[in-house]
Amino acid sequence: GIPAPVVYFVDYVTNCIYLEDIVDSVTVRDHIASVQQCGNDSSSLLPLAEKLGELLARMHDEDLIHGDLTTCNILLRPPMEKLDLVLIDFGLSFVSGLPEDKGVDLYVLEKAFLSTHPDTETVFQTLLKTYAATSKKSGPVVKKLDEVRLRGRK
Amino acid sequence: THQLELFPDRSVTLLLFNHVKNAAALRKKAMEGCIDGALINPAMIVDPFQILVAANKAVHLHKIGKMKTRTLYTEIIFNLSPNNNISDALKKFGISDSDTAVLIVLVEDREKTVNLEDVASQVEGQQVSLDELPQLTDIAKIKKMYKLTPQEEKIGTLLDGIICRMSTKDVL
Repeated sequence: GIPAPVVYFVDYVTNCIYLEDIVDSVTVRDHIASVQQCGNDSSSLLPLAEKLGELLARMHDEDLIHGDLTTCNILLRPPMEKLDLVLIDFGLSFVSGLPEDKGVDLYVLEKAFLSTHPDTETVFQTLLKTYAATSKKSGPVVKKLDEVRLRGRK
Repeated sequence: THQLELFPDRSVTLLLFNHVKNAAALRKKAMEGCIDGALINPAMIVDPFQILVAANKAVHLHKIGKMKTRTLYTEIIFNLSPNNNISDALKKFGISDSDTAVLIVLVEDREKTVNLEDVASQVEGQQVSLDELPQLTDIAKIKKMYKLTPQEEKIGTLLDGIICRMSTKDVL
């Protein structure tokens, strides 16, 4: 139940995976950049943050760790207002129930967010709030996230 | 008729027949290898793309000599199944003696073309447009076969769920 491109064909000879092409999609990175460029206030990004928090909570509740959460690895399917998100690039993903792994997954996204998109602290905060509200196992995860933040660069 | 993107010299043609009276005879002919095509139960097909994905994989494996079944056509039927049991796949996705609708899949390449009239003449039934496929599809049976969940349907289409299972069944 996590939106991702459909796998069409796995070629074991060339080790290629053929996936669905999400036509006319935009990365969340580009979307945020354009919203900020238009002079729009980051508050217009809050609904997106909520959707993302909800999606990641569902993913982590299934014990799936993405492994490379950045705004370039999340697509927005048109029409943009629908906030139809698609996760891509599962090259570093793995299965784990450990709050530590989920916390790190979120930490990677937080770092990516703040380094790529200035003044988005409230956006990520909203994401985390919705994550905590949606996920059934969020308590320990958020705790681990705080610990990882304190440890600084890993 | 569709050309396979990854194998441009191959084309896949789908013929749909309704009110078929000789399904038993057709099935026998297919098992004997007398029909140059895959005979599929249209109730299990939601979209021609499902067939193309199965055909693509079959052609690929045929080319590298790694098919799991004996012929290209049984391989196509096998690829439609979400599991790795060959006889189960042929039973569920191939036609049965009591079927009244048949979907015939033909694969041609530059060297081998298939005479469509030849194949069609063997069917005692009415050839209809592929547009009628949705009317013959049994959604409930398909959902059960592929174990599609309501959770999944919120995210993607039935076809998405089906294709995922078809293409990754040998990975898991």
